[in-house]
Amino acid sequence: MTTLAQGEVRRATALQPPTKAGGGWLVVAGQELRDIWLSARGPGIVVGTSLLLSLLTYLAASNEELNIIDQRDTVNLVAQITMALAVAVSLLFTADCLSGERERETLESLLVTPVPRRQIALGKYLAAVSMWPVLLAVAVPYIWVIRESEGVFTDAMLGGLLVGTLLVIGFASLGLLVSIYSGSNRLSLAVSFFIFVVLLAPTQLPLGGWFGDLIVQINPMTAGSTFLHRAIVKEHGWGEDVDLLIAPVVWAIVVSAVAFVAAGRLRLQGSLGR
Amino acid sequence: MAEESLRVDGISKAYGRTVAVRELSLEATPGEVIGLLGPNGAGKTTAIRVLTTIYAPDSGSFAVDGIPCTKPSAIRRRIGVLPESAGYPLDQSGEEFVQYFARLFGHSRRSARGIATVLLKEVGLAERASSPIATYSRGMRQRLGLARALVNAPSVLFLDEPTLGLDPAGQRQIVALISEVARERGAAVILSTHFLDEVEEVCSRIIILNRGEAIAEGPVADIKRRAAPQTAKVRVPQEVHEDALSALKRAPGVADAQSTNGGQGWISVTLKGAPDGSENGLNAPIRALVEAGIPILSFELEGGKLSDAFLALTGEARE
Repeated sequence: MTTLAQGEVRRATALQPPTKAGGGWLVVAGQELRDIWLSARGPGIVVGTSLLLSLLTYLAASNEELNIIDQRDTVNLVAQITMALAVAVSLLFTADCLSGERERETLESLLVTPVPRRQIALGKYLAAVSMWPVLLAVAVPYIWVIRESEGVFTDAMLGGLLVGTLLVIGFASLGLLVSIYSGSNRLSLAVSFFIFVVLLAPTQLPLGGWFGDLIVQINPMTAGSTFLHRAIVKEHGWGEDVDLLIAPVVWAIVVSAVAFVAAGRLRLQGSLGR
Repeated sequence: MAEESLRVDGISKAYGRTVAVRELSLEATPGEVIGLLGPNGAGKTTAIRVLTTIYAPDSGSFAVDGIPCTKPSAIRRRIGVLPESAGYPLDQSGEEFVQYFARLFGHSRRSARGIATVLLKEVGLAERASSPIATYSRGMRQRLGLARALVNAPSVLFLDEPTLGLDPAGQRQIVALISEVARERGAAVILSTHFLDEVEEVCSRIIILNRGEAIAEGPVADIKRRAAPQTAKVRVPQEVHEDALSALKRAPGVADAQSTNGGQGWISVTLKGAPDGSENGLNAPIRALVEAGIPILSFELEGGKLSDAFLALTGEARE
């Protein structure tokens, strides 16, 4: 322990904070971005995604015998996988962001700062969704290599950007919402991932009839996935399937609105599963 | 600045039907260290969480530097908190950790760096500032938490069990830091603890909580006096044992006197105690024996420590 010279004490106490601390969300986001990208988490996910896409692209582009699906389908597959990975990772990051702080007993120290609770949540949310633009950028060279025309590349990038952004916003908000109320990190991750799997599963099922059509329309994952498939593989114009964007748009708006209203009431203890 | 750094008027907080804090009132002036004592579940942590705006009070009010509890964000600018279970991001360095919190309080990067340097030096962590927190001992982490709690030069510092789990050397370091913070920075300190030695060393006043209620409040010396000894043991020569018993039974400040089973001239004396709480009543057996010309070989008072007062007041002594 060191006793400070009077001058140093005066200097320290003279460093009074400004009367208003705007932009607390920026400070939180900056710290969270460092935690994600300067640790093994972010780079590890990027490397894993690159390896997966490399394998797919290799099969599609370099080996005619192994190439068992059409190139447009391959582009669609790469876009869909990238989007699903980004959604899953953003969801799990936000699901961990507040319940994880609770579990690590770091939330109380954060709550006694003057940063409003909604801004704390926003900072963490923005850092979590930073995975999406990075994974989309990772997918660019792969889609470029396997494209058969400029058109399919543009369709894949713009369609993927639109649908992926809507889904990432919605699912990251869902993770945040669950995290706000969860008393344990395990519960938060489990509930969030379960909802993700329930909504993702129909995209892999052969849906037909009025019930299948209904599921495709109201499930944001199936609606987004179908929109992207039609834009890339069937070369539909965006206006043809605009109804398929309703579910992802509503999902993104409603879930994020609910999550950020709830964030204003963030408590030290979660009310679920304590 | 208001004269009182902290003013609490009858705050209460309940969890469902369980009342955790009932009508707690207190005042703290700059530089004052107030000890918040009580057995487990007495409501100390809840009281601190209400006063640090983590929980809203069910009733009552409080103000920090005159800022009412209806403005929690403004209050958070004026307080520093070291929670009971303070976790740390283990992969961050102490320097990064303090800088981060300084920035959350609105400091620029440059200012936050300066503050981290000064505070880490103040708590004796300057040489380990760039080491990951994972490599810090528990005592070092508590000192780091204290540094973090000071980033906004708080008017009131809330410390919830800051020495829990520390070895005696670590406890001494924290206690010395608390004194230094109160003395040199002029912060009022609310110290919740189980360790009565450190309370006697550092606190000017104490509040004893039991089942959510403040059952005693005042300077440490006053509280100790409340547990003034009720019994004394006197040893006199065997040959004047009976004379001594008679003299003691007649003495005005003595309720009863009995030979102890062990014999050897030992007598157990039950004192009436001085009605004004002074120590005059304690002298009654000695005065009676001296006046009777009986030599006193030994005299022992039982009680009179803060721990006795604490146990007596919280009812644990009877259990």
